[in-house]
Amino acid sequence: MSEVALRISNVGMRFGGLWALSEVSFDVERGSVLGLIGPNGSGKTTLMNVISGVYKPTAGEVTYGGKRIADVATHDVCHLGIARTFQIVKPFASLSVRENVAVGAMYGRYGAKRSTRASFERAQELLEVVGLARVAERPASDLTIPDRKRLEVAKALALDPDVLLLDEVMAGLNATEVEEALDLLRSVNARGVTLIVVEHLMKAIVSISTSIVVLAEGRKIAQGAPADVLGSPQVIEAYLGSRWVKRQEQLAVIEAERIEAARLQPPEAGA
Amino acid sequence: MHLIAQDLVNGILAGGILAVVALGFSLVWGIMNIINLAHGAFIMLGAYTTYQLFTSFHVDPFLSLPVSFVLLFALGYLIQRFIMNWVARAPVLTTFLLTFGLSLLIVNIALNVWTGDTRGVTTAYSGANFTLGDVTVPWAKLFTLLAALAITGVMQLWLTRSRTGRAIRATSMDIGAAQLSGVRVTEIYAIVFGLGAGLAGVAGTLISLSYALNPSMGDLFLVKAFVVCVLGGLGSVPGALVGGLVYGIVEAFATQIDVTVGGQHISGSGLQDAIALVVLLIVLIVRPTGIMGKATA
Amino acid sequence: MNPATLKRIGLGGITGNPIAFAVVLALMALLLAIPLTHNGYIELVFRNILMYAAMAYGWNLIGGYTGYVSFGNVAFFGIGAYCSAILATHGVDNLLLYVLLAMAVSAVFAAIVGFPVLRLKGHYFAIATLGVALAVTDIIANLDALGGTGGLALHQVDEAHFSIYYYAMWLVALGSMLGTYFIARSKLGYAFVAIRENEDAAAVLGISATRYKIVAWTIGAMMAGAAGAVFAPANGFIDPSITFAIDSNVFPIAMTILGGIGTVAGPFIGALLLAGANELLQRFFVKAHTLFFGAMIVLIVLLLPRGLVWLFGLRGGARAWLKSLSVYKA
Repeated sequence: MSEVALRISNVGMRFGGLWALSEVSFDVERGSVLGLIGPNGSGKTTLMNVISGVYKPTAGEVTYGGKRIADVATHDVCHLGIARTFQIVKPFASLSVRENVAVGAMYGRYGAKRSTRASFERAQELLEVVGLARVAERPASDLTIPDRKRLEVAKALALDPDVLLLDEVMAGLNATEVEEALDLLRSVNARGVTLIVVEHLMKAIVSISTSIVVLAEGRKIAQGAPADVLGSPQVIEAYLGSRWVKRQEQLAVIEAERIEAARLQPPEAGA
Repeated sequence: MHLIAQDLVNGILAGGILAVVALGFSLVWGIMNIINLAHGAFIMLGAYTTYQLFTSFHVDPFLSLPVSFVLLFALGYLIQRFIMNWVARAPVLTTFLLTFGLSLLIVNIALNVWTGDTRGVTTAYSGANFTLGDVTVPWAKLFTLLAALAITGVMQLWLTRSRTGRAIRATSMDIGAAQLSGVRVTEIYAIVFGLGAGLAGVAGTLISLSYALNPSMGDLFLVKAFVVCVLGGLGSVPGALVGGLVYGIVEAFATQIDVTVGGQHISGSGLQDAIALVVLLIVLIVRPTGIMGKATA
Repeated sequence: MNPATLKRIGLGGITGNPIAFAVVLALMALLLAIPLTHNGYIELVFRNILMYAAMAYGWNLIGGYTGYVSFGNVAFFGIGAYCSAILATHGVDNLLLYVLLAMAVSAVFAAIVGFPVLRLKGHYFAIATLGVALAVTDIIANLDALGGTGGLALHQVDEAHFSIYYYAMWLVALGSMLGTYFIARSKLGYAFVAIRENEDAAAVLGISATRYKIVAWTIGAMMAGAAGAVFAPANGFIDPSITFAIDSNVFPIAMTILGGIGTVAGPFIGALLLAGANELLQRFFVKAHTLFFGAMIVLIVLLLPRGLVWLFGLRGGARAWLKSLSVYKA
């Protein structure tokens, strides 16, 4: 038995009349990689927001090291050792790529002990780790979508987390880039960082996760080792549906084509 | 007791004018995200239009309402079309500064045309009033209030029912989507800015009936427009009305405060702005998006 | 080229363009010589420029760096001026004490008012700060102890030593400028900018928006307060309409935007240009000076929508500049 890092117990989240999450419970073991999957609208991002303290859950609680996340201010969650990326990337548009990461190093978990100069050095190290050193001086608003995803990961790593929540950091990457991203996540995990990964790419999830939680319509419907969960005909048929799997594959192809077309152009700033 | 009733009536009468003062300002800010510092100057131009028509041609101020509206609408339309449009997508402070420059320019032209002397529009019914129980109601102010209510109603109907009104609201919600649906944003912006100016002109005409005129009179009303439109909720027509009435009533009651604290005599008549603004602060802290504003930021 | 890129290219880093900053430091050094050669009117003009520069720096911290547009900074200028006047009426005749008290009182007032006001965002923050400024004006105008609307007279040094006010204002402006430079380069500066760019993303990186907004607002208040503290004895007399003039509220904002918002050189360049042009126009066009002044602002906004500092970083000459003109067109 290894140590439990994060405990999600009976979490419910209501928006107006809709329960985006209900009675979700699971533990995340320290040093593990937890894959969080489910169809669109199943509550994955909502759960990420609850764990990272952006939302206060309507019911239940998330505890980390015995501390309730809901009792901690959003800006203090990273000081506990929990960091996250955003599905919709949020770079500081007018700052350079390196400055974006340095802000995390300055105000994150060990930020108080770091000088401005040390923060920039740390940022440069991380940019090399994620492969953004070549654009360190560019304004963040100039980055392409794949580079923005890398920047999100670098910013989160700059917080020196023990637990890292990754919300679709591989969406929009091509096959080679996905492999690179997986290598990066493995090396981060190898340094003892617990990962919670939300992703649509099944292959990626299966290859990196030590266990998987499946959400559907805000409820946990399965949990276990990747092979057990995904191989289970019950999960595929009853919860995802064979048509869903097929459709996801088709969608992935369409998405990949669309992204290849758009990825070389940086998106309009301020969007 | 009769003092309270009188204050309430005074507040409502003043509030009607404030609603119209704030209406155009609120639409331009809410729809185009432009803080129009020239709004006060437009109000002043509206007031002087009425003054000029009245002194030169003996046109009744209420009859000059459409003239003020049309003249100022044209001015606003042209300013947006040929000047403001160049920085339409710039940060809000850029247009803020531009309208500051325009305001200085307009006020100075007015100073050269009409001089800095204080003027007034005195009609046959200017001093006339009637009493209702203990409460005195000036006719001019009552008609001003009715005109204000009518204008607010027409604006609300036009924005929600007419084709252009719907295009305007669509533009304020999502510029890109509106453009894709065939809305000509440049044209819509020019119309909204023209409308803002036209409503300022109307407000100026109404103000000229009860207040003295001078070229820098707009400053005071600009500040009030600011407060009223935020109080009621940005870009909301009913909000401007509610905000105007609330502000008018608070101001009227504030003038009655007369206390002595620790030897320091405090009289409300000098402090009415401060009191009204403290009320504003409390409203904002309790409801951060105004009385009629959307509940979510 | 999208607007954010455009902004970045011209401004070069969190402190702005280094050449622009060097030019501004050189100009500051030159200004030190003004009282030696010109006293009287010219000295007064430049003292006003320095005063506006200090106020503009104060506004730039909250409005430019942190992205919270305040219409209330004139309140701190006024509070600073009245601190001097109160000390003066109690027989204290020490400029340094005036400035220190003004900075302390402005800071305390800013921090107290900041707690409720800085919870508001965008337009609502702007209007609440305007409310604070007007309320302070009204309250002072109604306090007999502070002279009410009649104002207060201050004892001034004799004419031979009058330039002391100039040098004091120079120091206040320099302090505000260097303070801005070092704050912008420090961790604090990055917290401000992160809040401006995206408050939610800043929070996830460990930045308490409320705390750093109050810090930016309070330091800015101290700059304006210090300028007010020197202004009061230099002017010899203050009343609510002088100290809380609309000009003192809008000018520093206009100067910062014209010079270059969120840069170290911008507020000074804007103050020099705007206050200087205002004086010149007043001298040569008695009746129409605000007309020209207004037209000048309109033209600068249309021709240089990103401010003057942006010119220092512009590459590609006139063609790049012409191209930039339509960037913000609808």
